[in-house]
Amino acid sequence: MTDSAMDVRDLFVGNGDLQAVRGVSFSIPVGGRMGLVGESGSGKTLTALAMMGLLPVGWSTEGRILHDGVDLSCQSDSQLSRRRGRTISMVFQDPLTALDPVRRVGHQIISLIRRHSDAGKAEATEQAKALFRQMNLPRPAQMLRAYPHQLSGGQRQRIMIAIALACYPQLIIADEPTTALDTTVQKQVLRTLDVAVRERGTALLMITHNLPIIAAICDTVAVMYAGRIVEAGPVAEVFSKPRHPYTMGLLRSQPTMDNIALDGSSRLPSIRGTVPPLQDLAIGCAFQPRCEFATDKCRLETPKVIEGLSCWHPIVLDAEE
Amino acid sequence: MRLNVSLIIGAILTFCAISIAVVSTFWLPYNPNLPNIPNRLLAAGSAEHWLGTDVLGRDIISQLMVGARTSIVVGAGGATISLVLGAIMGLIAAASGKIVDETISRVADIMLSIPGMVTALVLAATLGSGALTTIFALTAFFTPSFTRVARSAALSVLQEDFITAAQLYGRGRMPRVARHVFPNIAGVLIVQFTLYFAAGILTEAGLSYLGVGVTRPGISWGLMLSEAQNQVGVSSPLAMWPGLSIVIVVLGLNLMGDGLRDVLDPKLSKSIL
Amino acid sequence: MVTYLIRRLVFFFGALFAASVLIFILIRAAGGNVAAIVLGRHASANAIDALAAEYGLDRPLPVQYIDWIKGMLHGDLGRSFRTGESVADLVVSRLSISIPLALSGLILGLIIAIPAGVFAARNAGRPVGAFVGLLSQIGIAVPVFWAGILLSLLFGVYLGLLPTGGWVPWSVDPIQSIRSLVLPVISLGLILGAVMTRYVRSAILDVMNQDYVRTARACGMTESQALVQVGLRNASLPIVTVIGLQMAELIGGTVIIETVFSIPGLSRMILANVAAREVIVVQSTVMLIIVFVIFVNLMVDLLYSVLDPRTRLGQ
Repeated sequence: MTDSAMDVRDLFVGNGDLQAVRGVSFSIPVGGRMGLVGESGSGKTLTALAMMGLLPVGWSTEGRILHDGVDLSCQSDSQLSRRRGRTISMVFQDPLTALDPVRRVGHQIISLIRRHSDAGKAEATEQAKALFRQMNLPRPAQMLRAYPHQLSGGQRQRIMIAIALACYPQLIIADEPTTALDTTVQKQVLRTLDVAVRERGTALLMITHNLPIIAAICDTVAVMYAGRIVEAGPVAEVFSKPRHPYTMGLLRSQPTMDNIALDGSSRLPSIRGTVPPLQDLAIGCAFQPRCEFATDKCRLETPKVIEGLSCWHPIVLDAEE
Repeated sequence: MRLNVSLIIGAILTFCAISIAVVSTFWLPYNPNLPNIPNRLLAAGSAEHWLGTDVLGRDIISQLMVGARTSIVVGAGGATISLVLGAIMGLIAAASGKIVDETISRVADIMLSIPGMVTALVLAATLGSGALTTIFALTAFFTPSFTRVARSAALSVLQEDFITAAQLYGRGRMPRVARHVFPNIAGVLIVQFTLYFAAGILTEAGLSYLGVGVTRPGISWGLMLSEAQNQVGVSSPLAMWPGLSIVIVVLGLNLMGDGLRDVLDPKLSKSIL
Repeated sequence: MVTYLIRRLVFFFGALFAASVLIFILIRAAGGNVAAIVLGRHASANAIDALAAEYGLDRPLPVQYIDWIKGMLHGDLGRSFRTGESVADLVVSRLSISIPLALSGLILGLIIAIPAGVFAARNAGRPVGAFVGLLSQIGIAVPVFWAGILLSLLFGVYLGLLPTGGWVPWSVDPIQSIRSLVLPVISLGLILGAVMTRYVRSAILDVMNQDYVRTARACGMTESQALVQVGLRNASLPIVTVIGLQMAELIGGTVIIETVFSIPGLSRMILANVAAREVIVVQSTVMLIIVFVIFVNLMVDLLYSVLDPRTRLGQ
């Protein structure tokens, strides 16, 4: 138990009759880095929020979320609040709206440090400055006195990361941390996050639909589709030899130099169809209506998870292809 | 679609009030202004006067019925005139250039900073009191709000629909703009109308209570309350009926407005209230 | 920030000017011959002319307007036609009653609305939340004077705890003065509270759905801590705006409630002068109220910019 920073078992997240996450299991070892991939609506963010105990009103969970020796799914709000930001923290997607607009960013990070430790104000301020320096933020002392609206998106996201790292958590969940940023800034912010997490030996759960990010940062990856993990494994293996048709489709639809013809004549391959509405999911494989290999078996029986794969007709590829 | 409880309750209450007002135009149990001293201050429940009589022996039900008519005519009158004026001004502001828009908007801001009660008092001082003055006062007070609402609603329609908007430019475009925009902002205006109808009834009652609104021989619930208050020690039920009537009608209209807003424009219900 | 301040100040003076012109025109132009109105239908033409001359009403309107404004700036609000008393003297003693009444009503309204609104927002979608919503809807529908009448019936007539009306001057017996204000303030506060509860509720609901509240909780705040430290602080911006919007309601309510409880405040004075067609008194006192309202709105704008770093420091 102690060798994993997060161990999720059979997690279900639902709102009334709507089941958005349907039996997700994964484990992140201490200091491990896992990527969670999937289209919007696949349940990635809800999984993350369930781990933080921050689901919106009306949503509830089943299953176990084991972290730091306790099951987070049965903790009260005040018990969870003592963990959030201390042993487990989260970086949100949109840095423009994630910081309190009427408080100086210094106040937000210093009050977090003081909430979770017995540091005095001066000590917490020094820690915050050190964090900002580590995040490559210029002039940390002035930065602490700034309001969010005075900073750029990249600066704000660095501050969010500093806040998430402030208390040396065991696990950081980053939910599309760079999607809202400019491409050039994305790389710098990611590198900063990567270095900081590596230095501290913090485990990372990176949620994104951007496969190159996963390839660059993570050790393992789990592919989610319609509330289930359809394929999981080491990044190198999954990306070079995808076994699930959906993973294959995702990999093919990533723009690379190979499939962008310079004359613009070719189109990026895409997976036909769209993610089915969750309330329409019947029995069988959820991906089956969009899958070119689907058979009657796929329509009738939900595939079991075997060796991190949930498919009746895995693709067999040579590494060369 | 889920049944909208507010809308249904509100519509029923409003329908009842309007029906009573309509009936009062051709039938009343008694002449509401006719004193009947031997029968003064009858308690509610008497055979001839169900809700009793006031200090001069005038029938309460008949007065309440005429009061409903006054409330509805003044409230709806003020709200309707303001709706029409406000919609026109708002549309002009939204569809014209910056100077016209700024002028109309700033004038509306200034008029909004004058409390309605103050306007009503000034008008009463110059024109004398009466139902018509009250309608004027309501118009002066409500028109700027309608202008604002119509302007911002029309602006969002014109911006959303910029291709159509471009076609709408040119000579004599105002009628074409109106024809294009009105159907799109009608919902917002209807909701606003309902809420100001209610506010108008409250204001009219207040002014008549103060003696600067409707006066005898006209009858208003506010006026009845003012007369009853001089008698409260004697007969407190007199202070109940008109007050309850106001609450029921205003509550009905407000519920209906809220319900309509939920039905017509779910986005709006979040942003305004 | 500086441009913002300048724009607010320009609007402030522009609004004052426009409102004063509006009031002047309404009263002088729409009202017809002021002296004739005051003296009544049977006055002789000579008497009318004499009164007009005495009060300078025979001069061109623009001159009269400038004179009026000059006087107002020096604290001279004109004199009453009938008694010849200075309006300024009349006003001061009345304000010592009306201002405490209105302010206490507003404060009580806020004391009711903020907890009730927060409660309703936290329980949105549950029966208790809907119940608070219904209470506030009913409160909005109750005319302030009816609330006053009912309260005076209950506490004054039946229970005999508080005076049903009337006024003892501050200088005579301050305790008694305060007792006279209790019921009016409660009536005013209840109604204003009902109206503002709705705004507070929606402001809190709006803020609590924002990402930064989720961040605050992700940083280890419990739901209640996030509500108080982040939610209320951010919701204070729309709530301050609502206070400005409530000025009209507050003034209207104060005017009416003074009549309900026969309290000789400013509005009773205005009403008496409306009835007597004392246009100069009405014109000046009404203008005073408008100055007050526009001033409060300016203060609200400034307070808003102090509370909101985005306005204070520019985008």
